[in-house]
Amino acid sequence: MSVVARRRRRGIDSLPPSVAAFILVPFLLEAAVVFAPAVQGVLLSLTEWRGVGTPKPVGLQNFRELAEDPIFVTGFKNTVRWLIAFGGLSGLLGLSLALLLKVQRRGVAVYRSLIFLPVVFSLVVTALVWRVLYAPEGFFNNSLQAVGLGSWGRIWLAEPRTVLYALVAASLWRSSGYIMVLYLAGLKSIDPALTEAARVDGANRWQLFRNITMPQLSGVNSVVISVIVIDALRSFDIVYALTKGGPYNSSQLLSTYMFQTAFATGRLGYASAIAVVIFLLALSFIILYLIRALREEAR
Amino acid sequence: MTIEPNMNTNTEEAPESSPTLGRRSFVFGATALGLLAGSPAALAAAKKTTKSKTAKTSGTIALQSNNSDDKSKLGMEAVVAAFNAKKAGTVKLNTVAGELFRTQLTQYLTSSKPPEVLTWLAGKAAQNYADQGLLLDISDVWASPEMKGYSSALKGLSTGSNGKQIFVPIYYYWCGVYYRPSKFAEWGVKPPKTFEEYKALCKTVQDKGVTPIGMGLSDTPWVASFWFDYLNLRVNGAKFHRDVLSGKKSFNSPEVKAVFAKWQEVLPYMDKQAKGLGFGEAQTKFYKGETATYVAGNWWALGAPKDVGDDIDFFQFPIIDPKVPVAEEAPADGFFAAANGKNPALTKAFMRYLATPAAQELYLTTSGNSSIPAAPGAKAAVTVQNTKGKAMLEAAADLTQFFNRDGGDELQPTADAALLKFMDKPGDLDAILTEWQAAAVNARKL
Repeated sequence: MSVVARRRRRGIDSLPPSVAAFILVPFLLEAAVVFAPAVQGVLLSLTEWRGVGTPKPVGLQNFRELAEDPIFVTGFKNTVRWLIAFGGLSGLLGLSLALLLKVQRRGVAVYRSLIFLPVVFSLVVTALVWRVLYAPEGFFNNSLQAVGLGSWGRIWLAEPRTVLYALVAASLWRSSGYIMVLYLAGLKSIDPALTEAARVDGANRWQLFRNITMPQLSGVNSVVISVIVIDALRSFDIVYALTKGGPYNSSQLLSTYMFQTAFATGRLGYASAIAVVIFLLALSFIILYLIRALREEAR
Repeated sequence: MTIEPNMNTNTEEAPESSPTLGRRSFVFGATALGLLAGSPAALAAAKKTTKSKTAKTSGTIALQSNNSDDKSKLGMEAVVAAFNAKKAGTVKLNTVAGELFRTQLTQYLTSSKPPEVLTWLAGKAAQNYADQGLLLDISDVWASPEMKGYSSALKGLSTGSNGKQIFVPIYYYWCGVYYRPSKFAEWGVKPPKTFEEYKALCKTVQDKGVTPIGMGLSDTPWVASFWFDYLNLRVNGAKFHRDVLSGKKSFNSPEVKAVFAKWQEVLPYMDKQAKGLGFGEAQTKFYKGETATYVAGNWWALGAPKDVGDDIDFFQFPIIDPKVPVAEEAPADGFFAAANGKNPALTKAFMRYLATPAAQELYLTTSGNSSIPAAPGAKAAVTVQNTKGKAMLEAAADLTQFFNRDGGDELQPTADAALLKFMDKPGDLDAILTEWQAAAVNARKL
């Protein structure tokens, strides 16, 4: 803070070299390893390239082809579904868990750690666990059988109607713990005096939550939303590890389809075009978030 | 993300002149893809590539192998050790799990510092990479005394579309319908010769509460292609099969529809859980006698647990139309070399060694593999099955490889999607085949 303040007062020429280095080095690094490849990726999306020889420029051909590619369309729809189901549910679950476990009571810490535990596992390990649970004669089907609902059993990961939601459930297991921790931190910062005052005024639980807790969580909410959006759009590992986008591409996300076109079929130009679409999707959400955040700051 | 940065760990700096692709552009491209999707793994892979600037010619090459099960790995290690003992240079073995290898092969080959020698499949599967200029021309290896007497069929499968050889086969094997003789005796059934007999067998077995036809498709969907291949060979013959795979005939032709009509007759006998089972899980079900038959290559018997032991046999895929000349699948495995690998001299020397009976016998015996060696003078590990398999292939009027080996790797995902969809919704056949044909046209265009 004070450095910035002093800099403002004394002008840019008196910027200490160490501070300049602290700004320049990360910027150059960022430019070299993030911006340059990103621009390169966008340029690649305008070419047909198999990874050998020089990329052949084809203009917007890749994007036109995308619009007519049934797998891409499925992937796009699935990504949107994923964003809503995964994003909505992990936010909801995370918040509920946080509200439930915010109280300081004996043993609560154990529950919190247990719910947070899946965050520690690698998603590929998570996938292995869920694969066993979802197996045709695995935990879910056997449990249904045991309570006499055997006819509800299905091959969860191999039926187009269930596969995407089965995958969402598996990734929720991990993300809700993470979101819970974010909300717990947010709840900690709520001024207990306000809650106390509302209670004295006779507010019920819902009113407390709606009018006291939620408004004070708005800062955390923006963070949670951007985390969720970014997480949803880059979801890859669990889908790839469990179904590779199958059966017959019905659980393909943009990220998995991009990987398949890039590294299995080797069409790097086309894959870059998919990457650009993912990038634009993420960017549009982040811009929405930034506009909101800036507006709030201005207030 | 599962990009394994293993492609260059054993190699040294490539000669300045060689890379046509430019390492930087590829690395940046891959990194950009990774970063746009927010993954650090691609970056890690990229960083790895720029590492290592060691001595120029120590005479070391890398061998990237997909023979990753314990026994096959032992076999590869033995062959590499035997070559290294000749002091003609050093080969470093790098083993990668089969499915991972399959998805990353393009990456290995297009890298600016690829592993010099790689395991892969003969036929179109290798030729496609050669057409892209990714493979080393090893015609002089084929001209060497080590390879004298190799069959012209194997030479054809090892030759690119420009007439240059690019592949060294080390063995080939047969495919068939596997079963457990003790179980067949228990159920009172005998290996069938015709499709009608096979269906009758399926019915009998199913009535006894056993799933007649096993399959595991969740991690290895290509297993379903065995059924497409064999039904097509039996209904339409090898020539049509090759034509449809190469694009001369269409997947939504009446002939292909006839193939699926036959499939539909046995579909009720196939394991309903197949799409939810992994390769290993399906194998376990077969060993436990929960499934009666399984169409596979000779490797199916190799992973058998001790208590199953020799209680595995196979019969020829049943004949459907006696007028169609009998064709069998006989996939050949072997090695090719990356075009821009360094040290082509050592690479070729190593491939010449791989072509010798000594190397092939060493590999097959160490790995307990019952396949038939490619070298004319080499002796196979003789087993009853091996003799039977060889005789079956010799009696066949024509030989094909396997779906991706005949059609090219890029065609395999289209088959996986179509066949799984058919098994799920046989009623939608027409739509599925139209979709398949469109997908195949697209895949070939790439």
